[in-house]
Amino acid sequence: MGSGRLTRIAAVAANTFRESVRERVFYNLLVFAMLMILSGLLLARLSIRQHEKIIKDVGLASIDVFGLVIALFMGVSLVSKEIERRSLFPLLAKPLRREEFYLGKFAGLALTLATNVAAMTAGLLLTLWATGATPDLRLLQAVFPLVLGHLLVVALALFFSTLSSPTIAAVATLCLVVAGRLSDVVRNARTVLPDAPAWLVEAVYYALPNFRNFDFKDRVAYGEAIPAAALAWVTLYAAVYVGAVLAGGVLAFRRRELH
Amino acid sequence: MRVLRALPLLLLALVPSVQRRVDASRGAFSGGDDTLYLWSGAQVRRLAPGLESLLADVYWLRTVQYYGSQHAFEGGGGYPLLGPLIDITVSLDPRMEIAYRYGAIFLSEHAPQGAGRPEDGVALLERGVAAQPDNWRLRQDLGFYTFLFLHDAPKASRVLDEAARLPGAPAWLRTLAGDVLLRGGDRATARRIWEELQAQALDPAMRGNAWAQLAVLDALDEADRLTGLVQEFARRTGRRPASLEELVPAGLLSRPPVDIYKVPFAYDPGTGEVTIGRDSPLHRPR
Amino acid sequence: MNDAALEIQGLAKSFRVGFLGRKTRPVLRGLDLSVRRGEVFGYLGPNGSGKTTTLKILMGLLRPDRGSARVLGEPLESPAWRHRIGFLPEHPYLYDYLTASEYLDYTGRLFGLPAAVRAERARDLLGLLGLTRSASLPLRRFSKGMTQRVGIAQALMNDPELVLLDEPMSGLDPIGRHVVRDLIVDLKGRGKTVFFSTHILSDAETLCDRVALLRSGELLRVGRLDEILSVDVAHMEVLVSGVPAGALERLPGVLRRHAVGERWRLEVEERGLGAVVGAVGTQGGHVLSVQPARQSLEDYFFNEVVASGSLDQAWEAGD
Repeated sequence: MGSGRLTRIAAVAANTFRESVRERVFYNLLVFAMLMILSGLLLARLSIRQHEKIIKDVGLASIDVFGLVIALFMGVSLVSKEIERRSLFPLLAKPLRREEFYLGKFAGLALTLATNVAAMTAGLLLTLWATGATPDLRLLQAVFPLVLGHLLVVALALFFSTLSSPTIAAVATLCLVVAGRLSDVVRNARTVLPDAPAWLVEAVYYALPNFRNFDFKDRVAYGEAIPAAALAWVTLYAAVYVGAVLAGGVLAFRRRELH
Repeated sequence: MRVLRALPLLLLALVPSVQRRVDASRGAFSGGDDTLYLWSGAQVRRLAPGLESLLADVYWLRTVQYYGSQHAFEGGGGYPLLGPLIDITVSLDPRMEIAYRYGAIFLSEHAPQGAGRPEDGVALLERGVAAQPDNWRLRQDLGFYTFLFLHDAPKASRVLDEAARLPGAPAWLRTLAGDVLLRGGDRATARRIWEELQAQALDPAMRGNAWAQLAVLDALDEADRLTGLVQEFARRTGRRPASLEELVPAGLLSRPPVDIYKVPFAYDPGTGEVTIGRDSPLHRPR
Repeated sequence: MNDAALEIQGLAKSFRVGFLGRKTRPVLRGLDLSVRRGEVFGYLGPNGSGKTTTLKILMGLLRPDRGSARVLGEPLESPAWRHRIGFLPEHPYLYDYLTASEYLDYTGRLFGLPAAVRAERARDLLGLLGLTRSASLPLRRFSKGMTQRVGIAQALMNDPELVLLDEPMSGLDPIGRHVVRDLIVDLKGRGKTVFFSTHILSDAETLCDRVALLRSGELLRVGRLDEILSVDVAHMEVLVSGVPAGALERLPGVLRRHAVGERWRLEVEERGLGAVVGAVGTQGGHVLSVQPARQSLEDYFFNEVVASGSLDQAWEAGD
C-alpha cells in the first residue's frame, strides 16, 4: 500500500476519532463510572472476595454492553450519515478513493472503541484497587476478545448500512449479534430438533458470526487462566471474519450511487 | 480490482476451519475448583433482597445454558457446576419446580448425558419435597429416580404411593406404585415411568433424555427378540449361528440387525446372547 | 490536442423512479461539451436541467449510463487528475464539529500536502474569502454564506488547474458575491480554468467567456455570449435623470420607458437618438449612459424555452 493511501486512510481515521470525541460519544464513561462507584460502595458489607467477583462481573458485562452499543449505533451511521448529509461529496472529489474512506472510517471507530474500552478497563481496575481487592491484570484477557467482538459488530454494521437505511442495518446487525451469541444453542439444535439435518445445522453454525468465541468473561471472573493458543485462534477468527465483511462492504460501497 | 471481488468469499471460506481450531483450543471450563469464587445459595440470597425471583430466573437460564454448552462442546465432562448452579437457583426460589426436576435428572444420568451422581439428584428432589410437600410431581420424580437409578424398589414404591395420595395426582400413579413393588426390575415398569417423564417434560432437554431412555428400552427389547431368534435357529439347525446375518437366509430375519442409530447389535456366538452394540449411543453400562 | 480542460462525449444518465424503480427518467441525454484551458465557462440551465448530475458524474459520485469524459487530458476513471482540480458541491455540508482552519487542514491532508503548506494555504484562502476572524470558530456557528465561502476555500487548497463550482453564489450576500466574482476573475488571470454552474444568468453574463445552456438534459447552445445573444443596434438604451415624467411623454422616438428609482431608462430608435439627447438637455436633465439594446441572457433563455413550448419540461424537479 502506497504511503499516500496510508496517509489518507489515517487522515480519515483521525478525523473520525476527533468527531467522536467532540460529539461526546464518551459520555457512557460517566455512566460506567457511576456503576463502578455504586457497586463498590453498596456491596461493602459483603466479604472482599464476593465483592471482587461482583465488581468484575458488573464491570466486564458493562464493558461488553457499552462497547456493543457504541459499535452498533455508531457503526450504522458512520458512513450513512456522511452520505445523507452529503459531507462525503467534497471529499470524494479529492484523491481519496472510496475504499480509503471506508477503511478510514472503520479504523477511526475502532480507535474510538479501543479508547473507550481502555478507559472503562482502567476504571474497573481502579475500582478493584480502591475497594481493597486485587486489580487483576488477567482481566485484560477477557477485555481483549470483547474488543475483537465489537470490531466485528462495527464491520457488520458498516456493511449493512451501505446496503440499506441505518435503521434496517441496526436491526439486521443486532439480529446477527444475538444469533451469534446463541451459537451454542445453534450447535445443539439437534437435541431439540432431532430431525434437523446435521449438515444444515453445521452450516448455520459456521456461517453465523460466533460471538461466543469472544466471551471469556466467566472464566476470567472465576480466576481461570486462558490458554494463549485460544486467544490466538480467536484473534485469527476475528481477523478473517472482519476482513471478509470489510471487503464485502468496500465492494458494496464502491458500487453505490451517491445522489 | 478482481482480487477484491473474490476476497470476501475467500475469507469466509476460511472461517469454518478457524472456528474448529477455536473450539478445540478453548478447552473445558473447569470452573468450580476455586470455591472462593463460587457462592452458596445462602450467600446469594443475602445479596439480593427483593430480587430473589429475578435472580432465580437468571441462574436458571445459566443452568440450562451451562448444561447445553457442556453437553455439546465438552462432551459432558462431569458437569461440575451443575450442582452449585441448581443449588443457588432453588435457594433463591424454593418453589421453582422445574429446577428440581431438571437438576435431578441431569445429576443422576450416566455420563455423558449427566453427571452420574444419582445420590445428588435424589437428594435434590428430597429437598424439593421438603420445600413443597404437596407437590405430587416432585414426589413422583423422587420415587421414579429412587427406582431407576438407586434401584431401591421398596422405597420407591413407598414414595410413589405417598405421591399418589397428594391432591391432583393421577389415578395411574397408585397402580404404578404397586407395580414397582411387585415387579422389581421389570423393564415394562421402567418403560411406563419413562413414558410418563417424557409426557410431563417441560424442557426439551428433559424430553430428549426421556426419549433416549425409551430408545434404550426398545433396543433392549429388540436385543432380547434377536436372542430369541438365535435360540430358534439353534433349535432348527442344531447349532448357533456364527453371526446374526445367518438368520436372514434362514427366513427368521427380514432386515439387518441394527438399532435406530444404524449400529449393529453385538452377538456372542459362545453364549448366544445378543446385546446393544458397544459403539451405539444407546449402549449403557450395566 | 490538450488545451481542453474538460471534454465530455455522449454522456447520458437516467434515474429509476416509481415503485420498484420500474420507470426511468432521463436526466442527461447524450451531452457533448468541451471546455478550453484558461477560460471561465458557465454551465447554465433551470433547476432540474441536469447541471448537478453532470458534475456528480464527473466527480465519480454517479456512474453514467453511456458516454465518456476526459479531465485535464486524463480519462475520467484515472485518479491522476484529482490532484489538479477543485470541486465545490451544491449546498456543501462540511463537518460542523470542525473549525474552518481544521477543515481546510483535513482537506490538505487528503491532498498529501505537507503541514507547513497546509497551514499557509489555509490562512491565505481564509483571508481571501474574508474569514480570517472566524477561522477558529466551529463550522456549526457559520452562516450559510460563510459556509459557502469555506466550501470555495476547500476547493482551492491544492491550487488546482481546473476549478468546478456548483452554484458558487448560492447563499451569498452581495458582498460575498462580489468577493467570489473577484476570485473567479483572479483565477482566470492566473491561467486557471473555471467551470461553474448557475441558474443566475446575470452572474454568467459578467464573468463567462463561454456558456453552455442546458435544458432537460440536452445542450441547447454552446458558445461565446456575444455570439449567442444578438445585439440589436437598431435600438439604443438611454439612461437619463432629472427629467420630469411629463416631459418624457412628449419626446419623439421613445419606444418605451422604465423608471429606475429617480432615473429613467428609455428605449429609443437609433435614428431618434440625437433628438432625445437634445431634448433631455433642454429640460435640464442629464444623459447618464447610452448603449445598444442588448438582449439579455434571460430573454434569450426564456424565448428558447417558450418557443419550443416546453415551459413545464424546463421546470422538472430535482437535478
